[in-house]
Amino acid sequence: MARYILRRALLALPALLGLILLTFVLTRIIPGDPAAALAGDSATPAQIAEIRTRYGLDRPIWEQAVVHVRQVLTGDLGSSIFSGRPVMEEIIFRLPATLELTFAAMLLSIGIGIPLGLLAALNHNGPIDHVVRLLSVGGLAVASFWLAIMLQLLFAMEWDVLPLRGRSDLAYGAPPFHTGFYLIDSLWAGQWALFLDSLWHLVLPAVTLCLPGLASIARFTRSGVLEALQKDYVLYARAVGYGSFRLATIYVLRNAITVTVTQIGLLFGALISGAVAVEAIFDWPGLGTYAVQAILSADYKALLAVTLVVGVVYAAINVLVDVLQALIDPRVAEDIR
Amino acid sequence: MNTFRQMLRPILRDPVATLGLLLVLLAVLVAVFAPWLAPYPEDAYESHLLQRLQPPSAAFPFGTDNLGRDILSRVILGTRSAITVAVSVVGISMLIGVPVGLWAGWRDGWLSETLMRVTDVFLAVPQLILALALGQLMAPGLTTAMVALSLTYWPFFARTVHAETRRLRTALFVDALAGLGAGTPRILLAHVLPNAAPAILVRATIGMGFTILTAALLGFLGVGAAPPSPDWGLAVAEARQHLPEAWWFPTFPGLAILLLVLGFNLLGDGLRDAADPRLRRSRH
Amino acid sequence: MRLGAALLAGLLAAAPGIAPVPAQAQAQVQAQAPQRPMVWGDSLTATLDPHAVFDVPSQYILLNAYDGLMRYQGNPPELVPWLASSHTTSPDGLTWEFTLKEGVRFHDGTPLTAADVVYSFRRLLAMNRAPAAAFVPVLKPEGVTAPDARTIRFVLSSAYAPFLSALPLVAIVNQKLVEANTVNNDWGAAWLAANDAGSGAYQVDAATYRARTALDLNRFPDHFLGWSHNRRPMEVVRTRPIMETSTRVLALLRGEIDAGDSYLPTDQVERVERNARTRVQRDETMRVFVIRMNNRKPPFDNLDARLCFAHAFNYEGFNNVILKGLVIRNAGPNPNGLWGNPPDLVPYAFDLAKAKEHCDKARAAGAPIGREVEIHIQSELEQTTQAAQMFQADLRRVGINLKIVPNTWANITAATTRAESTPDTWIHWVSSYFIDPENWIGQMYDSRFHGTWKASSWYANPQVDALLTKARASLDQAERSRLYQEATRIVVAESPDIWVYNTVNLRGMSRRVQGYNFSPVGSGGELRTIWLEN
Repeated sequence: MARYILRRALLALPALLGLILLTFVLTRIIPGDPAAALAGDSATPAQIAEIRTRYGLDRPIWEQAVVHVRQVLTGDLGSSIFSGRPVMEEIIFRLPATLELTFAAMLLSIGIGIPLGLLAALNHNGPIDHVVRLLSVGGLAVASFWLAIMLQLLFAMEWDVLPLRGRSDLAYGAPPFHTGFYLIDSLWAGQWALFLDSLWHLVLPAVTLCLPGLASIARFTRSGVLEALQKDYVLYARAVGYGSFRLATIYVLRNAITVTVTQIGLLFGALISGAVAVEAIFDWPGLGTYAVQAILSADYKALLAVTLVVGVVYAAINVLVDVLQALIDPRVAEDIR
Repeated sequence: MNTFRQMLRPILRDPVATLGLLLVLLAVLVAVFAPWLAPYPEDAYESHLLQRLQPPSAAFPFGTDNLGRDILSRVILGTRSAITVAVSVVGISMLIGVPVGLWAGWRDGWLSETLMRVTDVFLAVPQLILALALGQLMAPGLTTAMVALSLTYWPFFARTVHAETRRLRTALFVDALAGLGAGTPRILLAHVLPNAAPAILVRATIGMGFTILTAALLGFLGVGAAPPSPDWGLAVAEARQHLPEAWWFPTFPGLAILLLVLGFNLLGDGLRDAADPRLRRSRH
Repeated sequence: MRLGAALLAGLLAAAPGIAPVPAQAQAQVQAQAPQRPMVWGDSLTATLDPHAVFDVPSQYILLNAYDGLMRYQGNPPELVPWLASSHTTSPDGLTWEFTLKEGVRFHDGTPLTAADVVYSFRRLLAMNRAPAAAFVPVLKPEGVTAPDARTIRFVLSSAYAPFLSALPLVAIVNQKLVEANTVNNDWGAAWLAANDAGSGAYQVDAATYRARTALDLNRFPDHFLGWSHNRRPMEVVRTRPIMETSTRVLALLRGEIDAGDSYLPTDQVERVERNARTRVQRDETMRVFVIRMNNRKPPFDNLDARLCFAHAFNYEGFNNVILKGLVIRNAGPNPNGLWGNPPDLVPYAFDLAKAKEHCDKARAAGAPIGREVEIHIQSELEQTTQAAQMFQADLRRVGINLKIVPNTWANITAATTRAESTPDTWIHWVSSYFIDPENWIGQMYDSRFHGTWKASSWYANPQVDALLTKARASLDQAERSRLYQEATRIVVAESPDIWVYNTVNLRGMSRRVQGYNFSPVGSGGELRTIWLEN
């Protein structure tokens, strides 16, 4: 198993290296001169030339590419053109906000999606099944930014029962930084009020974000269960007198969970994309809003760093998923060349 | 061509997939006849300051927007750009992805290996982030958004076609053809591609819905369609400042996105079941 | 079926969010803190370094964490000595001497001396970022000296009348502190971007600072002005910018923030006024809304073409219908209330027949009226979008095809460094950075400023250049006024741009905020006079 994990991690490396090179290519196709952008407004040609030398922008392109790769590998993503601060520092404070939101959404997707899929399969072709089927296709058809606005309109503006925006009430400061997850850090510091407040603030964004995942998990669970129910051993067990519910839990759910784990990797990409919109609407100070701000202020350093960090997190999650899958079902590990 | 007829029949038998097909056909009709269907076609660019933000009424069934334009007309006119974007993006992605997938699936060696690794790199970045980065680096606008979306969607086709080609390469009839002296291009175009067509078609249909969603999101974030385009995502973005009073302003463009994407997804679902008998059996 | 119901019930119970929670949380907050601290919801500037940026949000840091030699107070703004106790000018206007007040201390307790002032100006000039623009042409680093610990002497290379008015732009930083944090000769720029080295009434709590997201300011009890003017000053101010306008307004209405930004959409004014918790602070200000035309690019090199555009904008409709009459029509580049405006200046009127006439003339002269003209808007500012869409609809009637290009401030200002890359037309405001016609007509239409965003219409008229140069160097107010009036007449007649309105500053505020003092320079961001009522 250890060898499999190592091999799987190594397989991710070429993709990551490619990603770093891709970001480098992106910095070079920008219209305009990065040195001029770094020098800022009202810079003299002499200043720009100095910056060009300082950042090695006068070197041959392949040399710059090597430098870029080396810098990224040592965790140096440069400084934001906009704020002058190291990009990595800004991302470290923002990544946990996005992860807290996406994990919450993922938990909701799984926690609601699997039971729904199961219900639909057990109620095959019944009313619940139809509702779940429609929901599972519809859930993938809703534009997350629109859903976010509609939920905000109803629950925060019209009925005023849920918070409008943010991770916590603005009058609170952030909890002392340990993990960057408000739910964990507030408990760590024993700030119960803040914990509850953060949880409350998480509801609308997480519900909005969980919908596509919920839909696809419900749908995969449903078809997984349906398929399993057709298996000979299940038919046999049924004939012997096992009830649907026992069957579902014993034989079927295990299969369904394997399927779900496979989906998580794909799901995470969708969640990150959705997070950009959801964060922008709920004013959630995560990577998504950071990316949008970077766009508005033409801060390509920040944008590339976000691209890179998200790519790395995405790759890491995919490796993790494969490993989990192999743990659940050792046959998978053997399949890989 | 036989495959398509084979796939159409089960769709017509599945009420949910038929609904999807109807929604898509309806949208295409609306898109084609938009200027004649819209009650106020000039509202694509015209503004009427004295009738700003009117709630839905007989004259304006969906209400008016922040410049006094009829939202119903703009939703109808927006169908055209939504479908154009979807068709172009999926088309361009196919033009890149299908040849790459065919080649890499058919041949062994470093080139096909490299091609698939490049595909992996593109797949390793969430599509939206890459589209945002590209959109910002080039000038923001609808064309940029379409280029960015195509550049990020082709790997999905490459993957699908690659897998199909690999599967077919070992198939008996391909061996037989090669034995009969058929050249590679002929085998690929006349035999492998048609067999991979159902999978491509399913991917394309789902891709349409997906592209419409992402393009709307780009429009919403200000890197897609530019005003005064009757783009749905843009309309929702413009509406935000006028909430909660003007609830009708974001509601109807959003519903339009929902219905069209739902149509493509239901159709894609039906097509997938039709293309994959194993799944169809499990569905009953 | 029964199983289904059971599972569903379980799900509902497990779903987060049971109604009593927020009330509880709220009660606990109130028990912990007797008064909710002030939450300031206006946008934060990119960097806390006062010498690196120069825009409307940067004034908040400049006015609260830092002090300058001079400062604007009140409305209409009056220039008053601040860190300086007095100053003298030589008759030729080249040498200026300032005497510092005694007993001024930085936040870390270090006394503020003339050496700090000299260091601050040299740092400003060496970094040469936006706020340096007003000084670079007339001041060399060696031109700032400190004859003794409380005297600063400036020797200008040429006479510059707006010198005094521009002094409030320059924050005085703590030399020792900044030098201690300098790496690679960066003048401490990396450090100061997230820290504070000032002497202002409030000090930055660096640990809470997250770029563009959060910043806490703590009261500085030893501020040189003392606190006798405010019986209950705020001990802490939490700055929590909310990016999106609509969210910001709603957060204000719900009491989450106490003040919004100074661009409250006119559509929201009534709602904010109606709310029991909030009000709209309206103040006459000096912020001119302009549609720029690139005078170097055909057809805008043709006067008739420019006049055609100037007559095709529906000023009435925009100012009075869309903006609900909360703005005032402005006839020229300088804001109405400023000195140096001809008293009889007549604004261009919306008249499509006249526009057509001018367009026909331009076409006859060979100007490419038929070509598609781009207008660049700042997508995050809805007014620019609305103005562009309205303009587009009206221009279509005279046969001009306007294409709207969504863009950002950062991108556009980068593009305006060269005439070829400057957009055909674009929309922005010229805010008051210092109160002198130099801030508007001087920097907008003197060709020496070509390449800066303010001069992005690339207008060049030697006669206007001469008038503006003369006005800049003259120390006689009456003469300057006459020169600016003459320049304004010529510029308005040549219509290089489309001037639309001068703003009333609209800021949504909670009613508990008291003692707010507005000044058009910095949009009234001074916190030291504010207290909260319960």
